[in-house]
Amino acid sequence: MCSGRVDLAHILRAFAKGADGVFIGGCRLGECNYITHGNYHALNLALLSKKIFEHIGLNPRRLHIAFMSGGEGNLFASEVDGFCKTIKELGPIGQSEEISPARLEEVMSDITRLVPYIKIEKHEKLTVCLEDETTYEDHFSLDEIKRLFEEVASYYIDPAKCQACMICARSCPVEAIDGGKGVVHVIDQDKCIKCGTCLNACPSRFGAVTKIVGGPVPAPLPLDQRTIVRKGGKEKTTSTEKVLP
Amino acid sequence: MENQLIAQPSDGFAQGNFGDVIVVGGGISGIQASLDLATAGFKVYLIEKGPAIGGHMAQLDKTYPTNDCSM
Amino acid sequence: MHIYFAQAIPLITYIDESCLYLKEKKCRICEGACKNDAIDLHQTPEKIELKVGAVILSPGYDVFDPKVRDEYGYGRLQNVVTGMDYERLMCATGPYEGEILRASDRRHPHNVAWIQCVGSRRDTAGDNGYCSSVCCTYAQKQVILTKDHNSETPCTIFHNDVRAYGKGFETFYQRTQQLPNVRFIRSYASIVGEDPETKNVIVRYATADEGVKEEQFEMVVLSVGLNPPKDYQGLAKKFGIEVNGHGFCQIDSANPMATTRPGIFVSGAFQGPLDIPESVFTASAAGAQCGELLNSRRGRLTTERVYPPETDNTAAEPRIGVFVCHCGANISRVVDVPDTVAYVQTLPNVVHVQNQLFSCATNSMKAIVDTVKEKSLNRVVIAACSPRTLEALFRDTLQEAGINKYYLDMANIREHCSWCHAREKEAATAKAKDIVRMSVARSIKLEPLQEFDLPVNRAALVVGGGLAGMTCALSIADQGHDVYLLEKEAELGGNARRLHSTIDGKNVQADLTRLIRRIYRHPAIHVYNEAVITEATGYIGNFVTRITSERGPAVIEHGAAVIAIGAEEYKPTEYLYGQDDRVLTHLELGERLAKSDAAVTGAQGVVMIQCVGCRNQDRNYCSRVCCSHSVKNALQLKAINPEMDVVIAFRDMRTYGFNENYYREASHQGVRFIRWTPEDPPTVEAAEADDGRAVLQVAVTDSILGSKIAFDADLVVLAAAIVPSRGAQEIASLFKVPLGPDGFFQEGHVKLRPVEFATDGVFLCGMAHYPKHMPEAVNQAYGAAGRALTLLSNDIVTVSGAVCEVNEKQCMGCGACVEVCTYDAIELRKTRQGEKAVVNPVICKGDGLCNAVCPTGAIVLKHFTDLEIESQIDALLPEPIEVQ
Repeated sequence: MCSGRVDLAHILRAFAKGADGVFIGGCRLGECNYITHGNYHALNLALLSKKIFEHIGLNPRRLHIAFMSGGEGNLFASEVDGFCKTIKELGPIGQSEEISPARLEEVMSDITRLVPYIKIEKHEKLTVCLEDETTYEDHFSLDEIKRLFEEVASYYIDPAKCQACMICARSCPVEAIDGGKGVVHVIDQDKCIKCGTCLNACPSRFGAVTKIVGGPVPAPLPLDQRTIVRKGGKEKTTSTEKVLP
Repeated sequence: MENQLIAQPSDGFAQGNFGDVIVVGGGISGIQASLDLATAGFKVYLIEKGPAIGGHMAQLDKTYPTNDCSM
Repeated sequence: MHIYFAQAIPLITYIDESCLYLKEKKCRICEGACKNDAIDLHQTPEKIELKVGAVILSPGYDVFDPKVRDEYGYGRLQNVVTGMDYERLMCATGPYEGEILRASDRRHPHNVAWIQCVGSRRDTAGDNGYCSSVCCTYAQKQVILTKDHNSETPCTIFHNDVRAYGKGFETFYQRTQQLPNVRFIRSYASIVGEDPETKNVIVRYATADEGVKEEQFEMVVLSVGLNPPKDYQGLAKKFGIEVNGHGFCQIDSANPMATTRPGIFVSGAFQGPLDIPESVFTASAAGAQCGELLNSRRGRLTTERVYPPETDNTAAEPRIGVFVCHCGANISRVVDVPDTVAYVQTLPNVVHVQNQLFSCATNSMKAIVDTVKEKSLNRVVIAACSPRTLEALFRDTLQEAGINKYYLDMANIREHCSWCHAREKEAATAKAKDIVRMSVARSIKLEPLQEFDLPVNRAALVVGGGLAGMTCALSIADQGHDVYLLEKEAELGGNARRLHSTIDGKNVQADLTRLIRRIYRHPAIHVYNEAVITEATGYIGNFVTRITSERGPAVIEHGAAVIAIGAEEYKPTEYLYGQDDRVLTHLELGERLAKSDAAVTGAQGVVMIQCVGCRNQDRNYCSRVCCSHSVKNALQLKAINPEMDVVIAFRDMRTYGFNENYYREASHQGVRFIRWTPEDPPTVEAAEADDGRAVLQVAVTDSILGSKIAFDADLVVLAAAIVPSRGAQEIASLFKVPLGPDGFFQEGHVKLRPVEFATDGVFLCGMAHYPKHMPEAVNQAYGAAGRALTLLSNDIVTVSGAVCEVNEKQCMGCGACVEVCTYDAIELRKTRQGEKAVVNPVICKGDGLCNAVCPTGAIVLKHFTDLEIESQIDALLPEPIEVQ
C-alpha cells in the first residue's frame, strides 16, 4: 500500500471523530520503490485538505504531511514531535477555531458527502507531480475552494421529459435513482454523489436530466403522480394530464 | 563432463543422509544460498558453527545507506 | 546456559562448555528447574555423514582483532571500542539496551572519534594489506546513528580517503558531512593514551594547516576491517581448496564463485571483503552454479509442504485471538504486557488473549496453531513487531492452523511503541492498547482473500548481450531453460569488447571470445542482434515481449526477464577532450595499449585525471571502477617503460578490496599520486616542454603545499564517468521498473533484494544496476540467474491476494483509476451499462492509488479497504461522533 491510498474521506472521518490532528507519512518524493510515485498524490490531497479546512475555518496546521525513508527514524521522530507541539498549541479541535463539536460534525459530514464530487472536479490537480516546493501553497487557492463549494452541482430529472426508460437508473453507481418502467424517475438527492453519470446516460433525444448549479432542486413529483400514461405513438403524459411539447 | 561425474543417479536417496547441497555457514550469504536452492528444487543442508543463524548481519544495528533495521 | 541473542533463529537455550556438570559432573540444578524436562545433559557430539552433490562455502569473515597491535589500545583503554562493539552499543538489544555509554563511567560520550583503516591497508605485520571495503560507510552510518541518539555529539572521522564507491554511498557521505559538528579529517591518527582521570582517549594526528596535534575524545571507535574466517586453513584443508595470500578463498576472477576444486563453490565475504548486497547475490550466484551442476536431480529429494484444508469463516461471527509478544524484553521492559493483555480481554469479539516471550519462536507459533484450532478462532492479531519482517511467517502459521492467511493483523507495538517510547512506560502502555484496539477493530472487518496460482512459462528473456547478460543467459540455459538474448548492437560483448586486460592480468578478449562462442553454440540460447523492443506486456511467469531485430520482428513469450543493458562511458567535455587528440579516456588508452600504439608506448609523461564527469552536480555519484582502472593502466605503462613519468591526479583513491594491493604496487613502481579538490580542479593546456617537445601541461594545486605543480604530459588520460545507458529510461518504462536518482535501475531492496525489482519476475544485473568491475558483474549475473531459477524451476507461482477489485455496478466508467495505475493493470471494458473498469489482479501491485481517486468507491484495494481503514480510525478515537 502506498501513501497515495490515503483518501480524503479518511482525513475527514478522523476529524469528525474528534481527532485534533492528522499526520500523513510518505516515502521521500522522487524515490518511489515502485513506479507509482503515489506520494505526490498524498501531497496534493494534503494541500487540498488544508485549503478546505482554511475555507471552513479549521486551522490547516492540524493536518501535516512529511516524507522520509524507512531508515530515517530521527526525521520521523522530529516531525512527529514538532507536529505534536503544534497540536498542543492549537488545543482540542474546534477550540481555538471556535467551532462547536456539533457544528464540526455537521461540516465534516457535509464535506464527506461531497468527496466523490471533489474527486471528480479536482482529479487532475490531485494526481500531478509537484516538483517545486514553492508551488505547493498556490496549488489550490482559497477562491478555488470557495467556488468548488458554491458550484456544487445537483442533478434533476425533469418529469416532463423522462421516458421512464431505466437507463439512468441502471447506470447510477449508487442506486440513487428511484423509478421503474412506466414510472418517472426521481433522484434521491441524499444518496446522489453528483457524479453526473445519469446526465451522460440519458439518451440525448430525451434530455431529461439536467445539471443545476447553485440553485435549489425542484421538489420531486408526489409518488402517486409518477405513473406515465401513454397515449399511443411517442407522445406521453403523466397522470397529471400535462401535455408535453 | 562434470555434470555426469557428480550427478550420480539419485533415485531412492530421499531416505538417509542424501542431499543435493551442503551450505557451510549460516550468515546472510549462506541463508540466501540455502533459500534459493531449496526454492529451486534442491535438498539443502545448512550447517552453522554457532547456536543460531544470521551471522554478523544479525548483530548490526542498521545497514547503510538506507539505515534500515538489520534484523 | 544461554539464549544466543533475543531474536536468534532458532531461539533455543543452549549450554556452553563452562557448565559445571559437563566439567565436573556437579550441579544439575537446571534439570530440576525445567518444568518440561527439556534438559539432557548426556548429549554427546554426533558425527553425521551427509552425501551431497555440491558444497557452498559461506563461512563469512571475522572481525579484525585490534588487540594484535598494542598501539590501538583496545582492551587496554576502556573507552576504545571497535566498530562492531559500537554497533552493539547502539542496538536496542545491545548491552545498555540501545544507550551508547562509556565502559569507564556508564556516561554518554559527548565527543566521539572514529579511526579508519584499523587493520586494513597496512603493510605491517598483523595488519591486512587490502582495503576492507565496508568501514568508511559503516563509520558514516554510525555517525548518523550517533546523531540520532544525541544530535549534539561532535563526531570526528580520521580517514585516508573516504571510499564511497558503492551505489548511494556518495550521497550518504554528503549526508554525513552535512550534519552539524561532524569533521572528516584526512590524517593517520594514533592513540597516545588516556587521561588518567577522565579516561578520555588522547589521539594524535596531523593536518595540513596545524601540523601534528593531540586531541581528547570521550570515546574512540576503531573502524576495524574484515579478516578471513579464523580457521581458514582448517577450512581449506577440509574441503581441499586453496586460499589466497590473505587467507580468503582463491577464486578465478572470471568466475568468482568457483574455488580451485570443482563442485565446491564460495559465496559471501570468503571471496574477499564484500558488502551485504554482494554477499546476497554471490549466494544466489553460487546457488545457480550448483543448479547447473545438479540440474538432472532437481526436485527429486524435495517434498512439498501440505497445509490443512481451509475453514470457511466468511459467515462466522469474528472470533479473535490476540497474542501479545514480549519480544524478550524489547517490548515488555517498556510496555506493561500483562496489563495490555487484561485490557485486550475487554475488547469486542476477542475470545482469547495471551502473552508470549517471543511470538516468532517455533514453540510460540505452534501454540498459536493449537489455540486457533482449540478455540475455533477465525482472526488472529499478533501484537509484536513490524509486519515487514514477520508477516509472511505468521500468515504461514494461520495457514497451518487452517484459516485464511489474510485473517491476520499485526499490531506493531515494538518499532511503533516500545522502541521509540523507552522512557515513557505508562504512555507507551496506553499507546500499545490503542494500537492493539485498532488492530482488533480492523481484524473484524478482514476478509479471506484468495491468492492466484499462475502457470510459469519456463523461458527467460535477457535484455543486453554484454558480459553480465551473456553470463546470466548461459547459466539459465545450462539449467535447462530456453533463453532469448537481446542485444541492441550487431555483435555481442558490450563494454567488455573494449577492455583488453584485467587488473590481475587476465586476457579479456580471449575469455570474451570463448563466452560468445558458447552462447552461439548453446542450443537453448536464441540470440537476437540489433534488437529493439517494441512492446513488453504480461506479468510474472507470463510475459510477452515484441521485438524487431536483424532477424525480423518476433514475439517472445517468457516467464522471467533479466535487465542487463549495461552502462556507457561518459564523453568528456572537460580537459580539451575532443579538441586535442592527446587527451584520451581510459577505454581508449586500453585499446591503444592493446595495439602497442607508439604514441602510448613512446610517451615520456602521462597524466591521468580522475573523477571526470561524476562526483559533481550533474552526476552526484562515484563511478566505482575508475580508480582501479587508472591504477591498472598506470602499472601497464610502467611495465612498458619504467622511466615513464606517470601521474594520477585524484580526489580520493577508491581502490577498495584487494585492488588496494595494486594501488600500493603502483606507488612502489613510482607512479605519482597527487590530490586535487573540486574547488580547484586541474587545468590542461598545450605547451612546450623544457626539451622543446610539444606537450600538454597539466597544472594541479597540491593540497598539502598549496602551490600549483605543472606536469608535462604526452598523453592526458581521463577517468571518464560511467553513465547510465541511453536506453535505460525506455527499458524501465517498458518493463515497469524504477530508475534510481542517478539514472541506474533501482533494485527491490538495496541490501536484501539486490538483483530483483519490486515488479515480480523481472531481474537485474551488471552495470545497468551500477558501475562495477567485471568479476562483480559476473557475480551479479549468476546471482540474477539464481534468483530467476527460483521462479523458472517451478510450474506455478503464487501472487498476492491483496490487490484491487472493481464492483462493476458501482463503476461509473470515468477512467480515473486507469489513468493513475502506472502498472497498466486496469482497463475500461464496454458493457451494456457503458464502460466499466476491470483490474488484472496479476499485474496489480496493490498500491491503492486507484482506490483513492475513485469517486464512487467502486474500485477497492482488498485487505486495505475503506471499511478496514475506517474501523481503525474509529477505534483510535475514543468518543466517536457519528458522521452520518
